Parts: sequence; structure tokens; C-alpha cells
Amino acid sequence: MTSNGIEPVKMDDEFAIQTFDLTRVFGNLVAVDGIELNIKKGELFALLGPNGAGKTTTINMLCCLLKPTSGTATILGYDINRQPFRVKEIIGVSPQETVISERLNPLENLNLIGRIHGLDAREVKIRSQQLLEIMGLGERAKDQVRKFSGGMKRRLNIMMALIHNPKILFLDEPTLGLDPQARRAIWDYIVQLKGERTILLTTHYMDEADFLADRIGIMDNGKVVALGTSTELKISMLGKHTMIIYAWNITQKVIKEMRSKYAEVEVTDGTMIITDKKLDFKEIVDLLHSSGAVVRSAYIKEPTLDDVFLHITGTELRE
Amino acid sequence: MRFWELCRRNLKETYRDPLALGFLLVFPLLFMLLFGLAFGGDTASTFPIGVIDNDHSQISQAFADEKLAEVPVFELSTYDDTTDAEKDLKFGELSAYITIPRGFGQQVAQKWQGEETDVILQMTYDESDITISEQIISIVNTVTRSFARIEVPVTVNANPIHIETEITFIDFMGPGIIIFGLLILIPTSARVMVRDKEKGFLSRLLTTPARPLDFLSGYSLCLVAIAIAQIILFMAAAYGFGVDIVGSLWLAFLVFFLAGLSSIGIGMVVASLSKSENQAEPLCWLFAMPLAMLSGCWFSIELLPSYLRDIASAFPYAHAIEASRGVLIRGVGMEGIGTDFLFLVGWAVGIFIIGTFLFRRSMRS
Repeated sequence: MTSNGIEPVKMDDEFAIQTFDLTRVFGNLVAVDGIELNIKKGELFALLGPNGAGKTTTINMLCCLLKPTSGTATILGYDINRQPFRVKEIIGVSPQETVISERLNPLENLNLIGRIHGLDAREVKIRSQQLLEIMGLGERAKDQVRKFSGGMKRRLNIMMALIHNPKILFLDEPTLGLDPQARRAIWDYIVQLKGERTILLTTHYMDEADFLADRIGIMDNGKVVALGTSTELKISMLGKHTMIIYAWNITQKVIKEMRSKYAEVEVTDGTMIITDKKLDFKEIVDLLHSSGAVVRSAYIKEPTLDDVFLHITGTELRE
Repeated sequence: MRFWELCRRNLKETYRDPLALGFLLVFPLLFMLLFGLAFGGDTASTFPIGVIDNDHSQISQAFADEKLAEVPVFELSTYDDTTDAEKDLKFGELSAYITIPRGFGQQVAQKWQGEETDVILQMTYDESDITISEQIISIVNTVTRSFARIEVPVTVNANPIHIETEITFIDFMGPGIIIFGLLILIPTSARVMVRDKEKGFLSRLLTTPARPLDFLSGYSLCLVAIAIAQIILFMAAAYGFGVDIVGSLWLAFLVFFLAGLSSIGIGMVVASLSKSENQAEPLCWLFAMPLAMLSGCWFSIELLPSYLRDIASAFPYAHAIEASRGVLIRGVGMEGIGTDFLFLVGWAVGIFIIGTFLFRRSMRS
């Protein structure tokens, strides 16, 4: 670190965001409880958890809005406690609440954030127009934002985080409260951003984390309780598979045979559910056929992140 | 130049909001229009006033025959003693009568020679008609700088010669209504700042490299621009409604500007102490409306009991009204309003420092 204090305090080329025992306490509530995260450069990392898990508090600390009670974090090597203004220069933030100047048009809103980040007027104009086109707001560029739908405002919210081309992007619940179509449009755009920059996204939608994230950290009660890719989480955390078969003429004999081979076998009204660490799809279907059963459909049910969450915390993710 | 971008954004948010704009500009103009229609120029009714000259000096005669007689809304009649005047007042023939006491001429003469003395005039009026008596008191007060049975400090009454002779009620009330317009800056300033805090705009921008000072200058600059626009518009409107402007426009502008700065500072303090617009706005009105009344925005504060006047004089607005009235309608220069002016400067600087400190602190929480 040089004497003027503008150099990063830690250089680790692999990681864009690192947290070190990051903790925030509000009165008696430990909102974030000593989390340790290492988010790689270019990675899209999702913090998944129910409301109140501590996701937004974590983001607020990382973008220097909240001081940690203890611990710290580095963003591209800059310490959030000691170099907040360096951090603020390299991050883009799309907060959970859509925060836009309602009586300004999208161009003016983008201009405000761009200019505050030190871009000159020409640069801001060019980037604004590009962003507006990509996000499908080109035709509404000069309308006051207060006339926009929720989805359009959300898109603008994200554009405002991107106007200065930040290396690190924080997206706090980017699709909160949107209809499926609008959510999908935002997902498509986020997918385009993947790899170009490091993105930390918080969400309480499992499908969002599943669809977008390279890696997922599951948060509950201020702690990161599980960490990994979507597949890793599902497989390693559960370690078992479920097969569901709809069939006619399931005989007691075949049920007995299945039970001798697999850990759990349930049969109700022509539906057989088999669960075990390892399942042989072909063998099961062949066994049923040879017993005289008529198999209408059969599939291996993939575990969902909700199953993972339930498995780890004992509660449903969606409350 | 982050503050400049923030200032531009704040200005756009304000001038594109018809309600906010109407509130800031049209509301005070409406007051001015109503006062103008009610009391302005030719439409003002005349008041029969009795004069009893007990002094019989040249000065007292000049005062009665020239100064008082030149007031267009006064119909003067002379009485020898109070008995007849009181009878006419009771029968409604007179709105009021003024008694020039013995020694008046000598007092005024001493004053002209720069000696410390008080000039006393006595005025008897019909209390039952508050609006008429108020107007008469205002006019007599302005003309003579003295009040019914109240002693007047020397400095105020030092230049009776320079008194504008055609002072009408709208002349007298104009500066007060302008100050009322500037008092409205208190809720406006508080609203502009609290809204951003409440809606998360401030938090949003605190994730950018903008510094607290950028925000404060952004808001202040925007509000100062609004204050300047208000003052220019109100002064033009006051002129349009028939206020005779005889003094320095620049000095009057400066006085109004200091009052405006004080309003912005008070708004900043309220914004720092409030969490939401719903909290800040009533708080501001609770403060601004009684202050407008106590400071004499709508009527002369000489009608108020002295303890209320003391409260009013702790705030800048009564001083601003007094000073701007002196400058605009009596042509008083800086030497005549020095004390009020210094008080205004002190208040504006002080409240701005407090507001800045508190708002910075509230941004960190």
C-alpha cells in the first residue's frame, strides 16, 4: 500500500469480493454473523435466503452503506472500512427498493449517476443510449419515470448501476415483485452480463438463483449455511434421488421386490415413489414391465433448492 | 462538480412538480392578490380621523396639516378637546382620533438635532372594528413611527421628514407577504431533503463516490435558486399590486435573501430530525404558521402583547419585515436597518451551520 492510501490493501488476483468474519449487529439482533465469502472475478454469486436472513445487510456493508460491527471485506482488494470511497468508485449498486428520481426521464437519471461517477457528458450519453436500447427502453428515453411500470423502473434501476461500467455489480433482489414476463426479461439481461463483471445478487426466489448463479450461498439467520453450485448443493446436500412412476397393475409382488432393492418405496393410487442414494432407471422400469404393470410415465425427480434449504434449516424457504 | 449535478436534479424534481411549484410561488401570490384587492390603491376606503393638537407648536401643526393630511385614506378634522372627539368616535363619526400631546414639537425638534428622546403620540380608536383600527394604526405607525400611547425609540423616528406620504395598506403589508412566501421555504426545504432520505435516494447515492458535502451543496444551491426566484417574482408582484418602492431594491433583496437562507437552514434542521415526509411537513407548518403571524406577515405586530413580540423578535422574520419595510417604502439605507441586518446575517449563518452539521450526522445513521 502506498502512502496516499489509494492502493488496494490486499491483492488476490482470483477473488473480486472477500469477506472476513463480516458481522453486523442491530441491538440484540445479529443480522450478519461472521460470514466468510470468497467470490471469484467474473463470477455471478447468488445469496439465497428468506426475508430477514441478512442478505441485504451483507450487501449494504459491502457497498459501504453500513459499517460492519466487526470483521471486514475487500472489493478488488480495497477494504470497505478503510477505503470506502475507492470501493464506491468500482461498484455499481441496484438496491432492493427501486430508487429513481421520478420526475426525471431515464436519460437524466442515468446522466446523474454517470456524472457523479466522473464520466463526461458525452460518455454518459453514448452509454445511456446503448443501455436503453439493450434494456428495451429506447423509445421511452424522454418520458418522466413516474409514468413507467414496475418492470421498466426495475430495468432502469439496474441500468443506473451499470452506467459507469463497474467491475463489481450488486443486485439486491433485482426482480422483487415483478410479474413472470418482466422477471424473465431481467434474467435474460443479467445472463448477458455474466462473465463480463463480478455480480453479487441476492434473492429469495430459488428459481432465480438456480437459473442465474454460478455459485449459490444459502443464508439463514445471518449465516451462510451452504455454499456451492446449484448442482453441488442439490446432490451433495441431499445425497439421494427420487423416482416417480405412474403405472397400472402394480402388484404386491413387485412392490415387495422393489422394497428389497431400494431404501424407500411408497405406493398410492397407481403412483410409485422410490427414493435411494442410487437409482437404476432402466432396471426399475424393466422390473415393472416384467411384473405385468403398464408404465404410463416415469422420471427421476431432481431435488430443488427448496429441498436443500428444507434439509439444512428444517424450514421451507418460502414463508 | 457532483454537487452541481445533484442541484440540477433537485431543481428539476421541484419545477416539474406542479403542486410543489404552485405551493411555493402561487400560494403567496394569492395572498398578495387578496390583500391587494382588499386594501390596495384606489379601492381602499377612507377613514375619518380626528386630530387634537395640544402642543400648538409649528412642528405639531406641520405634522397634522402636512404629514397626516397627505395620507390619502385619512379624512382629517380638527378638534379642540377630547370631549367632542370622543363623542364623535362613539357615534361612529370618527374611526379614531389622534392627540398630539404637549411637548411633541420639542421632542421632534430634539430628535432632528440628534438628541436621545422619545416621541409620544396618543391615539384613541374603536376597538370593536379590528380591521379598520389595525389599518389606521399601521398607517399612523408608518407615518409617524409611533403608536397609540407607546413610546418610540429615537432611531426609528429619526427621519420623519423622509416618510413616504402615500403609504397605503398594501405598501405596508407587501414586505410581510413576501416574507410569508419565504417562510414557505421551511416546509419545502424539509420536504425536498426528507423525501430523498425516506425514499432511499440518499442511500442509493451514498453507494456512489458522492460525498456528504456534495449532497448538502446540491440541496442548498437548489433551494437558494428557488429562494432567489421567489424573491424576484414576489417583488415584481408586489410592485404590480401597487406597492410603492422608494428604497434600494438591492438592499431589500439582500434582506429577503437572508430571510430565505434562514428558512432553508430551519428546513434542514427539521429534515435532519425527521424520519419521514409525514413527520417533517406538519412539524414545519406548526412552526411556520405561528411564526408568520407573530412576525407580522399579515398584520402589524404592534397589535400583539409585548411578550409575543419578544418571541417573534428572537426569529429573523420580524426583523426582516421591519428592515425590508424600512428599505422599500421609506427609503431607509443600510444605516437605518443595521441592527436588523446584522441579526439576519447572524441567524442565517448560524442556522445554516447547525443545519449542515445535523443533516450530515443524520446521513451517517
